[in-house]
Amino acid sequence: VSGDSVPWVLPLARFQTSEREATTLFGELRKPLLRYLVCLGLSSDEAQDVVQDSFLSLHRHLSAGGSQENIRSWLFRVAHNQARNRQNSYDRRFSERLDDAGAEWVLDEATPESALIEKEKFKRLGNAIRTLAGAERECLLLRASGLRYREIGDVLGIATSTVADTVERAVKKLAEKCNV
Amino acid sequence: MCEYSGRLVAWLDNELLDQELPDQEAINVEWHVRHCAECRKAVSAYEEVSGAFLVCYQAAMVARPRSRMKWRIAGGVAAAVAILALVLLAQQQQQQPQVERLSVRLPSPAHAPAIAFEKSAPPAPAVAVRPRLTAPAPMHSQWMAEEPVVEVALPADALFPPGAVPQGFSFIAEVRFQQ
Repeated sequence: VSGDSVPWVLPLARFQTSEREATTLFGELRKPLLRYLVCLGLSSDEAQDVVQDSFLSLHRHLSAGGSQENIRSWLFRVAHNQARNRQNSYDRRFSERLDDAGAEWVLDEATPESALIEKEKFKRLGNAIRTLAGAERECLLLRASGLRYREIGDVLGIATSTVADTVERAVKKLAEKCNV
Repeated sequence: MCEYSGRLVAWLDNELLDQELPDQEAINVEWHVRHCAECRKAVSAYEEVSGAFLVCYQAAMVARPRSRMKWRIAGGVAAAVAILALVLLAQQQQQQPQVERLSVRLPSPAHAPAIAFEKSAPPAPAVAVRPRLTAPAPMHSQWMAEEPVVEVALPADALFPPGAVPQGFSFIAEVRFQQ
């Protein structure tokens, strides 16, 4: 091995490692990330694009020897910011998406009575979600994605204690509006 | 309001909070919830709302195709209605008469001829009956004559003395109005 070839070997090894890591993370996080983006109001195609771009960024980040700590929140943050850049009517589309989801789920209910009750419940929930502030909805979405409060704080750029307060406020609002 | 009500969501999400709630406090909240009906109800409500939100969230990716299908069905119905409307319109146009035909039969006085108008025409200032110079066309071709054509049927009795016309014969004159 000549002295000139040494600088080439290390980045290549790093590239291969990062590729492996990115592939593993892609398998684990692709679906949650996609769901989060769809719930933010992106269309399926837009969400796919954002996920692809996010993983490309992750690949570059790892190849460049970037930090591997909190990779999940890093990835969600990149996707979140890309999604915000793409969205035109963010709030409206978000509510519609969750309303549709609830209505769709109700169709699987066993009896007509329970389906009706569930439908009413999701209708109330949809109305309640519309009354939430943007940060409250985002916190709840990321919480539903399985992110910890610290990770939610990383994604949204706020303190963990603020996330806790926001989640509590949002849950209380929903419970109050849904009369449960 | 109960003093523990502000810590219930944090207690529920203690795992997501990376156990930030101190162990002793978590135990206290748990004990309190067991004995406080109000907090128990609140915890139940928070759990229910969180669960419903999670269900909505997880079903969000399945929901879109349905709304697309709705639009497709609506588009199909609209196209079918448009085609049906076009077909009905075409049929209606075919059923409309090409030439408006009015058949007026006037009561015939003793010596007045009975006149039957085949087509309404604006009242003409003057009527001139002129003899046909060319050979008369067969009967069926009169219906294809050039516009405007008015057929005047005069009973033979009005033109000829009684008995002069053989039985079964009639005279048809073609009249054109000139302005």
